[in-house]
Amino acid sequence: MIFFAIILGCLLGIIFGINAPIIPYSYSGYLAIAIVAAIDSVFGGITSVLKKNFDLKIFVSGFFGNAILSILLTYLGQKLNVDIYLAAIIVFVGRMFTNLAIIRRYYIEKWNEKSKKQEK
Amino acid sequence: MKNVKKNKIVVSVIIGLMCFILVFTMFIQFNTIEQTDLANIATMRETELREELAKWNTRYEELYARYQEDEVKKQEYQNSLGTDTEASDLLENELNETNILLGLTDVTGPGIIVTLSNNSNKNIDAYDLLELVNELRLAGAEAISINDERIIAMSDIVDINYSFIVVNGNRISSPYVVKAIGNQTYLESGLTAKEYGYMDNIIKGNGKTATLERADNIEIPKFTGKLEMNYAN
Repeated sequence: MIFFAIILGCLLGIIFGINAPIIPYSYSGYLAIAIVAAIDSVFGGITSVLKKNFDLKIFVSGFFGNAILSILLTYLGQKLNVDIYLAAIIVFVGRMFTNLAIIRRYYIEKWNEKSKKQEK
Repeated sequence: MKNVKKNKIVVSVIIGLMCFILVFTMFIQFNTIEQTDLANIATMRETELREELAKWNTRYEELYARYQEDEVKKQEYQNSLGTDTEASDLLENELNETNILLGLTDVTGPGIIVTLSNNSNKNIDAYDLLELVNELRLAGAEAISINDERIIAMSDIVDINYSFIVVNGNRISSPYVVKAIGNQTYLESGLTAKEYGYMDNIIKGNGKTATLERADNIEIPKFTGKLEMNYAN
């Protein structure tokens, strides 16, 4: 059910996204940082699912909260003439790698257990 | 049990919605980046626009400075153009005057004509003419010619072998018509002074022939030779 919802959401997103109008180039930087924040949240969510401590409220608030916060920080950085979005990208992408590592380890361990069982 | 299922549906819808939003924005971003022409000013980043603007600003300032310079130059030229016509008028007047003084123009005016001719006893020689020119100058002659050879500062009057006379490098012969423009009274009286005057002393005293007459409209031609300075400068 959840997988179905995910696939449906992605397909609809692709269809609507391709047909959507483009945004001004100056705003694309904000959108990019929001997307990075959202992807980070998604990986965080997957990790929490694997760790079995997934909370929908935390996931949703992180998803939107991080995106909006990163946009605001980028805007602030532009006003202060400091590239704050670089810090945001480093944090988000670093967390993404950490989460990816956790996911990878989880599945490798699972696979290892499986093969051990088969050997027995 | 029902609650759990309802909960699952809610979670699915929320997750699906979030997936939709994420993918939707991602594709918008992809499209934007793909379709954005970086050279197109309408979609340029603010910083790029600023750089471009600064570049054009400096170019504009440079060009404006050059324009100002040119304008000032133009003004100067125009100013000097105004004075230039005056200056050229002045120069032309000066040139004309200088030409007259140098003897490079035809001149007319009142004066006297002295005609010297060889007679059966005596020939007129160059010294007679030299003396006459000298006397005429003393009397204030402004233009002198001998047989239409204009006498100027560089003129020569010489005897060649005591057989003929050369003036301005051109051979002339009797009768020698000496024309002089100036104050007629001064010229005439300068030449006809008794005993020591030119006519008495040089001409009659040596038995030579010369006549003197006044003329009101003497024409004296310009100097036709070359005036060149090769060593003096």
